[in-house]
Amino acid sequence: MTSTRATAVLVPVLSVLLSFLVGGVIVVISGHDPLAAYVALLQGAFGSVFNLANTLTVAVPLMLAGLGVAFTFRAGLFNIGAEGQYWLGSIAAAWVGYAVHGLPVWVHLPLALLAGTLAGALWAALIPGVLKAWTGAHEVITTMMMSYIAINLARYLIEGGPMMAPGYTPQSPAVLPTATLPALVPGTQLSWGLVLAVLAAVAVWFVLYRTTFGFEVRAAGLNGRAARYAGMNVARIIVLAMFVSGALAGLAGAVQTLGVNHRLFDAFNAGYGYTAIVVALLGKNNPWGVLAAAVLFGALNAGASAMQMQAGVPAHLVDVVQGMIIFFIAVDGIIRSVLRRTRKEAAQA
Amino acid sequence: MRIKRLAVAALLVLALVAVAACGGTAKNTGTQTASESGSEQGQGGKVIKVGLVTDVGGLDDHGFNELAYKGLQKAAQDLGVQVNVVQSKQQSDYIPNLTNFANQGYDLVIAVGFLMTDAVHQVAPQFPNTKFGIIDVDYNSVVTDSGQDANADKSKYANVAGTIFKTEQCGYLAGVLAGLVEKNNALPGLQGKNTVGVVGGIAIPPVDSYIAGFQQGVKAVNPDAKVLLEYANAFDNPQGGKEIALAEYAQGADIVFQVAGGTGLGVIDAAKEKHLYAIGVDADQNYLGPDNVITSAMKGVDTATYQLIKAVVDGTFKAGDFTFDLANGGVGLGVFAKSVPQDIIDQVNQAAEDIKAGKIQISAQVQK
Repeated sequence: MTSTRATAVLVPVLSVLLSFLVGGVIVVISGHDPLAAYVALLQGAFGSVFNLANTLTVAVPLMLAGLGVAFTFRAGLFNIGAEGQYWLGSIAAAWVGYAVHGLPVWVHLPLALLAGTLAGALWAALIPGVLKAWTGAHEVITTMMMSYIAINLARYLIEGGPMMAPGYTPQSPAVLPTATLPALVPGTQLSWGLVLAVLAAVAVWFVLYRTTFGFEVRAAGLNGRAARYAGMNVARIIVLAMFVSGALAGLAGAVQTLGVNHRLFDAFNAGYGYTAIVVALLGKNNPWGVLAAAVLFGALNAGASAMQMQAGVPAHLVDVVQGMIIFFIAVDGIIRSVLRRTRKEAAQA
Repeated sequence: MRIKRLAVAALLVLALVAVAACGGTAKNTGTQTASESGSEQGQGGKVIKVGLVTDVGGLDDHGFNELAYKGLQKAAQDLGVQVNVVQSKQQSDYIPNLTNFANQGYDLVIAVGFLMTDAVHQVAPQFPNTKFGIIDVDYNSVVTDSGQDANADKSKYANVAGTIFKTEQCGYLAGVLAGLVEKNNALPGLQGKNTVGVVGGIAIPPVDSYIAGFQQGVKAVNPDAKVLLEYANAFDNPQGGKEIALAEYAQGADIVFQVAGGTGLGVIDAAKEKHLYAIGVDADQNYLGPDNVITSAMKGVDTATYQLIKAVVDGTFKAGDFTFDLANGGVGLGVFAKSVPQDIIDQVNQAAEDIKAGKIQISAQVQK
């Protein structure tokens, strides 16, 4: 038991270290100093309150959407449509945020957050969830397709559509101060969304490991047929798991919109919903692991700018490191077998 | 369980050591730069530091960012300024990237493109000692956040300069060229209907100024010519651009002026397919179809970047707008296709001289 738990932590950590090692080799090949590059990266990610806030600002949507993806993984589902649920959440939160007037902050802000959460939840549960539960349509296809619909819907709304602000920039009007998530660290983009994300991790952990529903989700994930044979309503579990997952991704969009962007705008290239899949995988679908993985990706993002500014290393190199991480997670079987062998040798000696 | 805790603890310690270590190194580099700039000061004058923040298009976008970078490099060579560039990967990077440069004591921070208007609006007032320049956005738009913050206090934006391009002027020259080609039947394969076309991206002022100039240029030399105009309502839809261009060619247009960014690449495709002609926009696009792209109406983002930096070096930088036109080389035409007759090129150059001399006035309003 202890050895498998240690492996569960060691394997992703080694994946990350290996990817940094390979990334460093690429830095050398590209004619830069890898030590300077990584020092700049770390410095840019954690070196000051401002930099740490930047890291966490990017980590927040990844935490929330990552928790959502991890939840469906636990149920044996592959919700790769977090991006679409994120955008639906952003649309709903932005609309409630700017179009609903005259509410006090303690009503308006929760309402906007709730709108985003519900929009994401329904986007995931109503079509992909129901289709999967009753027709078996594969959620990889349906959630992916629903993502394209959501992204293009958001695009339409702000590129000349009904949510476009006056002027010619493709963006919605700014959300009202009563719907704005206040800054956690003044002078930075880090909002109270961080607290929401940590609370969400606690909630996901509690639901998964301390409730009957969570037990059913995990049972269905381990073996759906066995769960059905044991008398569980697997169709209901699928729809609810998609609902929870979409809710978290929708909340991610709402938090980003109300706390960082303050409006809906053409930010589709950020791809938090897609990165969230990697975050969930790296976090081994464990709520705490997801938080840590999200911080890592936030740090890579915030440090990338510093790496460019201080070490002159192209920012795309950070994409290479991220790609390496994904690669080493995908081949974690290799790391596992090496670990097993060293353990065996140690035991024999 | 215990091993897991141990592992977590070990990791935390490692992370702390790493942070502490890099904190130390950062201090070292800090002193190094200080002593370096000290010695440079000894040689006379402080070296001016310029930071460029790209929008999400990245440095290799064949457009604005790439041109701005070109201007930045030229300034580094000619003016001896210290330059640095950071590419924004997503829209939420704009504020941290601008702030980082300002925090590090950069003298001038240049933001590329109208997507960054909001970010400059927010960051500039926090750093009154840093100058901010923004490409292709006017000063007033920055102050008022594109009109959304109409009551903004102008005095907080004394460190901001916008840049405006008189693209109606290069649009006009493109129109003169197209009008003369039609009139003189000067290129092979024309359909003989005395018609030219325009494919616009979205009907916004930076697009419409080009189109307005083009319409006036055509009419000035060829009053009977017909100018078709259609908007694609997107900047990133080459297929849609191609379809509109094909429709215009089918209506008898021989030359289609694309003012549509990525959408316009489809227009050039259509020209090649139909063995007809197109005019490129923003950057020199002749290389995309050397026989078909007869010229390009160019926006001198590189010139603007260079001039912003030069103004800081010369001490002439002030709040307001830098205007770029034919006279100061901020807009102009690109390479002509080889098949364009020299006498037409001469007449286009004459029109350019007349505009510079103020003999021709061009409106930026599109005739629809």
